[in-house]
Amino acid sequence: MTIQILINILLSSSVYALLVFSFRIKYLTLRFFDFSHAIIITFGGYFTYLFSVLMDFNLFLAISLAIISSVIISLLILQFIYKPLQKRNTENWQMLVASLGIYIILQNIISIIFGDENKSIRTWEIKKGYNFLNAYITGIQITLVFSTIILLLLTWLFLNKTKIGKKIKAVSSNPTLSSILGISNDKATIWSFIIGSFLASISGILITLDSDMIPTIGFNWLLYAVVAMIIAGMGKLRYVFMSVVLLATAQHLSAYYIDSKWMNATAYIILIVFLYFKPYGFSGKKLKKAEL
Amino acid sequence: MDYILHLAILISIYTILSQSLSIVAGYSGQLSLAHAGFYGIGAYTTALLSVNFGLSVFITLPLAMLLSGVIAFIVSKIAVKTVDDYFIIITLGIQVVIFSILNNWQEVTRGPLGIPAIPSIEVFGFSFNSKLSFLLLSIFFVTIVWFLISNLVKSPFGRILRALSEDEIFTKSLGKNVYQAKIISFTISGMLASIAGVLYAHYISYIDPTSFTIDESIFILSIVIIGGMRNLKTIFLATVFLVLLPEALRFVGMPSNIAANMRQIIYGIALILVIFQYGNRKNKFKMKRT
Repeated sequence: MTIQILINILLSSSVYALLVFSFRIKYLTLRFFDFSHAIIITFGGYFTYLFSVLMDFNLFLAISLAIISSVIISLLILQFIYKPLQKRNTENWQMLVASLGIYIILQNIISIIFGDENKSIRTWEIKKGYNFLNAYITGIQITLVFSTIILLLLTWLFLNKTKIGKKIKAVSSNPTLSSILGISNDKATIWSFIIGSFLASISGILITLDSDMIPTIGFNWLLYAVVAMIIAGMGKLRYVFMSVVLLATAQHLSAYYIDSKWMNATAYIILIVFLYFKPYGFSGKKLKKAEL
Repeated sequence: MDYILHLAILISIYTILSQSLSIVAGYSGQLSLAHAGFYGIGAYTTALLSVNFGLSVFITLPLAMLLSGVIAFIVSKIAVKTVDDYFIIITLGIQVVIFSILNNWQEVTRGPLGIPAIPSIEVFGFSFNSKLSFLLLSIFFVTIVWFLISNLVKSPFGRILRALSEDEIFTKSLGKNVYQAKIISFTISGMLASIAGVLYAHYISYIDPTSFTIDESIFILSIVIIGGMRNLKTIFLATVFLVLLPEALRFVGMPSNIAANMRQIIYGIALILVIFQYGNRKNKFKMKRT
């Protein structure tokens, strides 16, 4: 049983880590909590369902099409909603409300088109999974863990070794100064959106390969990611790993010892405790600078 | 006729909810997504006390207000340390925790089964069980809440709130206790929301946790934002519009399963348009000043 819990913690942590990375990259350039990110996660799953189950494409083709369409939708949101709003000097909370509005609209469109009931992209038979020290892990779950590790490595390389990645970091640390130095804010934002939505749609697909989906699936997962990101703070990436492992461990232990119904509440209680005692998370670095 | 009375009662309940949220969102500048939680605390307190112990509303209403006031006080003590996005996330967390408790603590709240057979409100032997009498009662409460809030925001305390929503640091520099003002406004708002919960529980006579979800919180916040954050009159109009919207959609002949989604889509669009409008207004204001 202990092994099974450890495996579950590993699975949750890797999904959380992927989601935190995807959300964080957008946050670096946008500087507000973009709730429409949740719908990109959902789109990943539902587009794959559309292409692979309804239109009967090959699964890999379907997945790539799904990722491309999710990224395009997120770019459209950026171009037609966020950019005009930023030109109007809207405040952070107003942007956040707008993103919530976008989420509500798109989620309900999905509900109308696909219905609210459980959907699955698994057309194949469910296998029992490999037995590993008396615990079970399915092939998809192994894929999930490995693809997370690869994607996180690639993202890290992208952010630290490529020119565009460095530009994103520059814009995030000081937008005014970087624009003086000739770094285009727009370009950095677009790239951060492409990478963020790419990772988000992949995590959506991985989640839905492992379990069923409903139109609100993205929101629940995004909220966990937001909790993990706040707990981690804005410093080094190792704090992200600490926070996702902490979150996943607490959730699975509460599910095992109390009841799985309390997993949601556990996540938020950890968040509240953290915000009270360590408002800037593990890293101690302020996520938001005081605006004077 | 009964149907129109029913809608009018719903409008009154939502007016109380949205106006009480406007103290927090509009005046002290913190968007809270925990409002449905306080609404639920009010409803469950009165339901449990009146079903299990047969207490009259004279006792349950103050107790409900006290309980949600205490919880709101604790919540705001934590949340007041944070701003903007963080505040929204932490109130969202509180909302999820309250919902989990209502939904999962089955020994007390009966969980998803809900609490049936809540007696109607009785005052000095007169029972408010007809719709018309209940409407008059809820209008009475709306008037009290409206009067209270409009006086509160005109008072010196209200001026502090308005000042801090414009510029928190400047208000602090004038020697005003910003944190205390935020905590007090949040507590008052939570207490007023529980009044709406009490009314709802006794009116519908059956409650379950699904009435107090995060979607409900988003809905109440949307009313406040669409109603212009501060102006109590336009918030009331926004409430009328958003509560009647699903009925209008049904009247047009939209099937009920799509109508629920359509309603959400419409208020999502309204939210975005309102935010665009805020941007415009601010720019105009800046141009005037320069």
